[in-house]
Amino acid sequence: MGACQCKCCSSQDEDRSNLSAYDAPSSSHNNSVLGINGSSLNRDLSGSRKRAVASRVVDNLILQTLNMIGKLGLVGYNHEHPEVLEKLHIIGDKEEGWLQIIMSMINIVPVDDPLGPAVITVVLDDCPLPNKETVLKLVKILNLSKYTSYRLRKMVPVHHHRNMCVILGVLAEKLPGPSSVAMLTPGTLEYLIANLDSKKIDPVVTLFSLIALEKFAQITENKVLIKNYLDVEKNPLIRLEGLVKSENYVEAQVGFCARWLLDNIFPVNNRKLSYLMPETNKLNAMLNTQDASEYLKLSPDGIEARCDAYSFESVRCTFQINHGVWYYEATILSSGVMQIGWATMDSLFRNHEGYGIGDDECSISYDGCRQQLWYTALNESVDSRPPWQPGDVVGCLISVTEEYVCFYLNGHLVTKNSQLFSTARSGFYAAASFMTFQHCRFNFGHKPFKYPPVGIQFSTFNDHGCLSDSERIVLPKYVQFKQIQNLNILEDSCTLCFDNKATVLLEPCRHSGFCLKCSKQLTRCPVCRTKIDEVTEDDTLIDI
Amino acid sequence: MSALPRRIIKETQRLMAEPVPGISAVPDESNARYFHVIVTGPEDSPFEGGLFKLELFLPEDYPMSAPKVRFITKIYHPNIDKLGRICLDILKDKWSPALQIRTVLLSIQALLSAPNPDDPLANDVAELWKINESEAIRNAKEWTRKYAMEN
Repeated sequence: MGACQCKCCSSQDEDRSNLSAYDAPSSSHNNSVLGINGSSLNRDLSGSRKRAVASRVVDNLILQTLNMIGKLGLVGYNHEHPEVLEKLHIIGDKEEGWLQIIMSMINIVPVDDPLGPAVITVVLDDCPLPNKETVLKLVKILNLSKYTSYRLRKMVPVHHHRNMCVILGVLAEKLPGPSSVAMLTPGTLEYLIANLDSKKIDPVVTLFSLIALEKFAQITENKVLIKNYLDVEKNPLIRLEGLVKSENYVEAQVGFCARWLLDNIFPVNNRKLSYLMPETNKLNAMLNTQDASEYLKLSPDGIEARCDAYSFESVRCTFQINHGVWYYEATILSSGVMQIGWATMDSLFRNHEGYGIGDDECSISYDGCRQQLWYTALNESVDSRPPWQPGDVVGCLISVTEEYVCFYLNGHLVTKNSQLFSTARSGFYAAASFMTFQHCRFNFGHKPFKYPPVGIQFSTFNDHGCLSDSERIVLPKYVQFKQIQNLNILEDSCTLCFDNKATVLLEPCRHSGFCLKCSKQLTRCPVCRTKIDEVTEDDTLIDI
Repeated sequence: MSALPRRIIKETQRLMAEPVPGISAVPDESNARYFHVIVTGPEDSPFEGGLFKLELFLPEDYPMSAPKVRFITKIYHPNIDKLGRICLDILKDKWSPALQIRTVLLSIQALLSAPNPDDPLANDVAELWKINESEAIRNAKEWTRKYAMEN
């Protein structure tokens, strides 16, 4: 904590000296924003004292945010802007303040806090976006190069590197094209590429370097540049991809992300895309590619899921349960917030609003990070053991016959609950939601369970499921996208959904062009906003 | 969530084929419900010359509910708050499923031409806009220059 000890920052002290304690916030806001009485912030303090005070204040606010997210979740505060973020927002409104926030985050977000990377995304998302000059100033202060990665490896703590990579990734995604391009200087790029050396670099730094490269590659200009760097000599992604089965859970995440990049963003000429491999999967139940929110990354074998987006991503399994007793397991690869459990088809994935499994009345879930049971977005503390760790196994049991669900952690019963059955009696699916940078691996019965519940007879999805060959394929997003874009749409389609034929007439306004399914969801005419009294068949269509 | 509804495909195809002047909306490469939007500041407005970045996403039940739109570029405007949230009736209670991405973006562009300080979201901005319009416009121009113009 405190001042940055690493050379990459201290060598730039001249630049840092410009980061004088930012002015007191504008008059419309209370001066206490700094946590101290703004007017008494002694004007005769020396520059460095002032700086130290400012950085302590910002450090504190960031730690408070970390604490708050542990309680509230990533996006659960949409309606009220929490005070601590409000303060950071005001500080970040000025260039010096924004740079101070970045430096504080690099310095103090701990590497072992499961919510560390998430807090960085929250703070950056909430601060005003910097303009290009500020971004360039930051690049100059960080002064990254491959030497930052190699030479200073022993001198700079891992969490500085990790935090720096997270920040680069978030900014790459948020900034408008030209700023993102400006930030990816040869030095920044060499630094990120040098971090891909799994023999010398801590895997957590490699992981977030991969993610940063993915985010930079959203701009075509950057993508071409990165690809050129990767294609020289031996492509580091190919080697990293080999880590996918590693026993070390961070390495396994590195392997997953490297493979995902090779399949989706940086394909290599003589490498077959994973989904074309014959042995990919012979499973009878898997995560449903057609039933996952947009940003979730699924492994080619369909049993691993990961989220690197800043939303709350969800997925359901392919197998539907209507009666009997069923069990599955999920191995946690990352220790942050995930909600794992059961859902019906009526449970919506409102990923951008932060709602997932357990956040409505049609689903229930367990989150071993915050140690909560979630139902209708309300939580209930369920465990006094320490939070889950990578490698822990969550067991989920559902008895439709006796109307209850059970959650286990490493074979220990965490909770038994029957609330879900107040709204549904059948049509359940295994389902899970993932916060940013979270990852887990499912077992739907294709191999022996680690902690099968004792004394309970249950079935597995894999024994009773059935999938067609095409359902087993996890297509890369861009391939899927191309197929969709070429779809033809018929002229007489409903003007709202374009899925069905337009067949109805709205009374009394007599506007037409809608299908029965859409019209049932309307109370007013979409065209003239007249209240709908009746929906009738459009007889003009029958004559034709 | 099921496969992408044809409605979204149809709108995307049309946005690509017949773009709206002064507005670019490109779907994210990996997410067909998320659009990267750039709106150019309308002529004769304090935002002229600026390029404003927005994000737009189509929620699960679109078009039965409105798209979610937010300014990412900072903008000095009485109906847009500092988090980029927009106060516009058609994004809220006046939404109709007959409206589209294109009509929404046109409305936002129109809002830049005609700020409405009587229905404010950013109170301090709206206040100034009412009591000293010329200073407010000066601020808006300054922010446009500072945040919405590259170089």
